[in-house]
Amino acid sequence: MTLSPTPPPAVRMTGVAKAFGPVVALDHFELEVRRGRTLCLLGPSGCGKTTALRLIAGFEEPDRGSVEINGRRVAGPGSSMPPERRRVGMVFQDFALFPHLSVRENVAYGIRRDPDRDVRVNELLELVGLAADAQRMPHQLSGGMQQRVAVARALAPRPDVILLDEPFSNLDQALRTQLRVEVREILRRAQATALFVTHDQEEALTIADDVCVMSRGRVEQCAVPEIVYAEPANPFVAGFVGVANLVHADCESGVAHTRFGPVRLIGPPERRPTGRALAVLRPEHFDVWEAPDGPAGRNLWRVIDRRFSGAELLLEVQSGDGLRMWCEAGRQVRRLTVGDTVELRLRDVETVAFGMGHQQLHPTTDAASDEKAMARPTSG
Amino acid sequence: MAAPVRRQRGPGLPPARLLLPVLAVAGLSALPVLYLVLRALDVDRAALELIIRPRTIEVLVASLSLGLAVAVGSIALGLPLAWLTARTDLPARRLWMVLTVVPLAIPSYVIAFAFVAALGPRGALSQVLRDLGLPGLPSIYGFGGAVLVLTLATYPYVLLATRAALLRSDPSIEEAGRALGDSPLGAFRRVTLPMIAPAMAGGALLAVLYALSDFGAVAILQFDSFARVIYIAYRASFDRSLAAILALMLVAVTLAVAWVEWRVRTRRLVIPPAARRPPVPVRLGRWRWPALALCCAVTALALVVPASTILFWLLRGLSQGEPLRVLGSAATNSLLAGLLAAVVVAALALPVVFLLVRHPGRFAAWLEGILYSAYAVPGIVVALATVFFVLNVMPILYQSLVVLVLAYAVRFLPQAVGPTRASLVQVAPRLVEAARTLGDNPPAAFRAITLPLLRPGIVAGMALVFLTTVKELPLTLLLGPTGFETLATAIWGAATEGFFARAAAPAAMLMILSGMTVGLLFRAEDPVR
Repeated sequence: MTLSPTPPPAVRMTGVAKAFGPVVALDHFELEVRRGRTLCLLGPSGCGKTTALRLIAGFEEPDRGSVEINGRRVAGPGSSMPPERRRVGMVFQDFALFPHLSVRENVAYGIRRDPDRDVRVNELLELVGLAADAQRMPHQLSGGMQQRVAVARALAPRPDVILLDEPFSNLDQALRTQLRVEVREILRRAQATALFVTHDQEEALTIADDVCVMSRGRVEQCAVPEIVYAEPANPFVAGFVGVANLVHADCESGVAHTRFGPVRLIGPPERRPTGRALAVLRPEHFDVWEAPDGPAGRNLWRVIDRRFSGAELLLEVQSGDGLRMWCEAGRQVRRLTVGDTVELRLRDVETVAFGMGHQQLHPTTDAASDEKAMARPTSG
Repeated sequence: MAAPVRRQRGPGLPPARLLLPVLAVAGLSALPVLYLVLRALDVDRAALELIIRPRTIEVLVASLSLGLAVAVGSIALGLPLAWLTARTDLPARRLWMVLTVVPLAIPSYVIAFAFVAALGPRGALSQVLRDLGLPGLPSIYGFGGAVLVLTLATYPYVLLATRAALLRSDPSIEEAGRALGDSPLGAFRRVTLPMIAPAMAGGALLAVLYALSDFGAVAILQFDSFARVIYIAYRASFDRSLAAILALMLVAVTLAVAWVEWRVRTRRLVIPPAARRPPVPVRLGRWRWPALALCCAVTALALVVPASTILFWLLRGLSQGEPLRVLGSAATNSLLAGLLAAVVVAALALPVVFLLVRHPGRFAAWLEGILYSAYAVPGIVVALATVFFVLNVMPILYQSLVVLVLAYAVRFLPQAVGPTRASLVQVAPRLVEAARTLGDNPPAAFRAITLPLLRPGIVAGMALVFLTTVKELPLTLLLGPTGFETLATAIWGAATEGFFARAAAPAAMLMILSGMTVGLLFRAEDPVR
């Protein structure tokens, strides 16, 4: 046995470009999915993430660049391997179960010439908890069951990578949360490499080992979920993943001086700006205190909106000089309502800031909605 | 996701393996229209004189009157039946729903034959009346008989379209009318009727098209509308220009009606919000008796009269030793021609449907238009066109089975395209993609996924084509090989010559065959498995 060098990644896309007529879906697109991991492509609608998936599966061919699966080049200049030879599994948004085949026949489809197929199918039905439903037809199954059949079917031929296209978007909210956990568990136990796309940041953060945030056909940042959230690479990522307030700051030797006081900057030194910058302040970076009624001054804020989600309460507040912020209200101030006056205090936190030199940036007024986050200019 | 953009094809043409067969099919389908264009270019002074001569005008007026009367009649029967079976607590509603649509499966010339054989001067009922010394019936021949028979044959078009609109429309809209102060009748008139009127008008226009193009019934009832006069002109002389001129006029009239129908369907059709819940059935109370009487009367005329007349003459024929030998060969010929046409059409329809569904665009729209043109042109005209081209291009094939089956196929292709397309639309491209990621190459994915899912549509299309081919009269009469007698031509031949007993057996056979095919169609409508 020779000790092999680092194994190639399950998927590698290099310099990929793809346009549909005048619409550019992907441009200078780079992606690497490491073996055994679950990577999530996260981005707003129309950012090209599904196109990336279809290029890997072989349903589309790149205009430029190359696609490798497990070190084999499957698409590149002048060559394209057909989907059936790429060893990828795919779970479609609408599951695409074969309506004329039973659950068992669906799962067995990709291995029907395999002598051990019965054993394998049983194993997979067991894995997804549908052993008792093997003879049922797809239309007799609930949405959640259909999804698990789709996952089992894709896993059956032991693909090098399994691709999931918005796999939870066709399910209702309660089921979605439950199935996320289930599917993650199934993929983990099958030791599968998975790449899935979603526009739901909560979904991405809960299910993925790695998250790649995309916008307009490019990858903005790839990292583990915690880093994407805590150290967004640019304002787009900051606004798309979680709620972010972008606040003017003067940065100097790793400290951002904001109107709320100094904040330590994290991340690699080259990413810590100096001079004028915008610092990312998350709602949970603040303590909110009830303030006696009075004119809303520079450090006094008026509540202008509230979003209660059960677990937490977010308040949108506005200062006397017009700046708007989202902040999280602690347990002691849950009864605050629109019109109340509050005081904000920055906690002892670390964050990132974006220098204003090379890109046109605007402080946020509202980073909580995806649409607005998308509308802001982005870097790269 | 950017779904609409993603799957759009470039402006390139569909692949050659689709394009070549489709172009061949389209070429065949274009022949009837091409024939009409060639003939129209030939129109000279002599032809114009033919057009304006009193006899021609007479035929035009007769045809238009027939169309108008059938429109009125089919609405008069179709609208109340639709409302009764869709919206009320009519006793045995579901049974009436089926019974009132069945006449659609009976060829008009069978109904015509039945009425002649019952009410004609030598008909069954007339004989009974004469035996009883009672005065005779008004003549079934001519305008009155043609209107009656064609109304009975076509009211289901109005019924089906209107009922579909009634079932689709949201009952809350009527309830809103009621809440705003309308009486039940007022709400129907001011709210429901305007909503269903376009669908109803569409159905009535289909009935008019049917009546204008119908050949068998008017021929048996000796009513000189276009189709019959064209046939006589064709048979009577070797110079076929009179037939061609009349055909041009008929097509002009049907085009006008078809244009109105198309306008109504695409422009005026109100699409009411989808029904969220079934409407509360209207309680008929005492009115259920007249309602039942209407249902019984229509069913009696459209079903019981034909069935019992045919049975009467069948039994009489058997008792008088009418030879059944002819029946055997006619039935075999019908089956043979029908099956051949069904198989050929299914094969032609597949590439067409793939092109229409998977490569939509301007080319597909043109293709569809060409296919439907051969279907919209009256059968007698398609027959004339086929004779014209066969004699000019390949006279050796004149009156051969090949030409007959090809003519059937070209004319009835849209009937198979409809259900096959409906099936293919449901086969999402993602299903094939899923099969591809699971290791199938394109032919394997087609065999394992697409074809099984298409099967119900293909079967339904074949059954429809079989049904209409077996019923088809003018094409068979004009294009069939000499001595090639089918059930349809046997009925027609015997009925026009007054041999009712001889026509009864093939008529009974044809109705049984139709019934079985319709049954197959209902089976094919079941979901997969």
